[in-house]
Amino acid sequence: MTKKFSLTPYFFLAPALLVIAVFIFYPIAAVVYYSFTDYDIVTPPQWIGLQNYIKLVQDPTFWKALTNSFIYLIATPTVIVLSIVLAIVVNRNLRGIHMFRALYYIPAVSGSIAIGIAWRWMFDAQGGLLNGFLVWLGVLKEPLQWLAEPAYTLPIAMLLTIWMGLGYYALIFLAGLQNIPEELYDAALIDGCNNFQKHWYISLPGLRPQIVFVGVISSLAAIEVFNEVFILTNRTGGVLDSALTMVFYIWRQAFRFSDAGYGSALAIVLLVITLAFSIINIRVQERGLETD
Amino acid sequence: MEQTQTAMFHAGALRQKYLENTFWYILLILMSVVTVLPFLWIILTAFKGPNDAIQSYPPQLIPHDPTLANFTRVWNLLPVGHFFLNSITVAVVTTVLNVLITSLAAYPLAKMRFPGRDLIFYALLVTLIVPAQLTYIPSFVLAVNFFHYYDKIISLILPNIASVFNIFLLRQAFKSVPNDLMDAGRMDGASELRIWWSIVMPVIRPSLATAAIFTFVNAWNDFLWPSLMLPTMEHKTLQVGLMALQGAFQSDFRGVAAGVTMTVIPIIIFFVALQRQFIRGLTGAVKG
Repeated sequence: MTKKFSLTPYFFLAPALLVIAVFIFYPIAAVVYYSFTDYDIVTPPQWIGLQNYIKLVQDPTFWKALTNSFIYLIATPTVIVLSIVLAIVVNRNLRGIHMFRALYYIPAVSGSIAIGIAWRWMFDAQGGLLNGFLVWLGVLKEPLQWLAEPAYTLPIAMLLTIWMGLGYYALIFLAGLQNIPEELYDAALIDGCNNFQKHWYISLPGLRPQIVFVGVISSLAAIEVFNEVFILTNRTGGVLDSALTMVFYIWRQAFRFSDAGYGSALAIVLLVITLAFSIINIRVQERGLETD
Repeated sequence: MEQTQTAMFHAGALRQKYLENTFWYILLILMSVVTVLPFLWIILTAFKGPNDAIQSYPPQLIPHDPTLANFTRVWNLLPVGHFFLNSITVAVVTTVLNVLITSLAAYPLAKMRFPGRDLIFYALLVTLIVPAQLTYIPSFVLAVNFFHYYDKIISLILPNIASVFNIFLLRQAFKSVPNDLMDAGRMDGASELRIWWSIVMPVIRPSLATAAIFTFVNAWNDFLWPSLMLPTMEHKTLQVGLMALQGAFQSDFRGVAAGVTMTVIPIIIFFVALQRQFIRGLTGAVKG
């Protein structure tokens, strides 16, 4: 450690801090300011006080987007459970297991746009694979416009998010499982645990750091979802805004309808939600530490 | 007597083992059908000729009249080569600059004592919870009015050459480097920059790889910001270009499938080839 005052650490930090100041700190301040203005990006912003926020509270589309974004959070516990199960299944020494792990991982690396397009066609009314099978098997009398049905659009988007994340999260859990000492399982066997109890009492507590990590990143991804909705609904947000989420609504207001002031107010709501999330998350982790 | 018994026991255990493995393989295959089927279907459709059915019951998977015409049609209508080149440029330049800049910043945060360190640390920590999309409206205004890089791919690079996530990841790595190493360098009269580059950086190479992989994947898959920045077809990255493809080939499923196949296959090969590093990188971030 250097004793006397030196500028060295500041030189080391300067490039990163400059970039972060310009592209994170300044935008946060600017978005707060814009949210109190009438702003179309082309002409200078006009101060209108709280009008955007008053409009927001009375805007049924905003409430729809907010509700959908919260419904989207169901994807988080679902993907955690499924990926832990997947990790337990692939955590055994079988011939070719590495190939299977790679196969499960393909959706996670292919990029959400390519996958989204594939899914859009899967659910297509003319020539979609799903309709092809369902009509053939007699489940459906005629092909269904899955993505034009308001009731199905959001669940299909959530399914896509889960399907894409599964392989990546399972890898994280697999690494966690392989860190749990084998003796713990042997001891459980001696104590007469069955297969399910073995995982319930040993794997789950052992995976705690991974569950926290996946919980945080997958819930943030869910509340900030955009790509899946954008592709599956062909940039519309779905029939009757059925799959409209917060980020999609921000994008539509700011960049399609050039209402950046209102879009900024929506963005502030999103920020408050993610802030609340982080506080809850820290609390939960602290409580977990106390009981440990 | 005893021997036959153990033999029988072995046969039983083997049978049990055999049954168990069969069960696991069936499960593994069923699960891979779920993950791979959409890709397989898209790839097969890309080779379908005009006489192959798109809509049929049961669905026709295998093309009877295979052709490469769909690929040439896409290639002639869209600058797919540009898309690739742009994506590679953005991802590589972003990754190299980002890892350099964030490791430079992470080093003093981990290993030096100086006024304002805690303030900087907590200010950076807070930004981790800010959704990236929140910054897009002001960043758009900056791009158009200040940086004047709207419709240029540098607009995708510059905002991403530093990331708080990597600073924290690398700070953690630098902390585990023993101080003796650096003190030895100081005794030899090396400058801090030299100590950072030739003594400490080599030690944390695995973490640098993790940071690089994360940055690369994020840059490669980024969609919303590039879609705001790149209206000209030749300037688009792969993800934005794919979306343009879906628009240009609206109801031509064979064309869309060919485009998706062309863009996805190289990526899958790339990641499967680097699978080992990739998995280590992604799982290594949990502790970071």
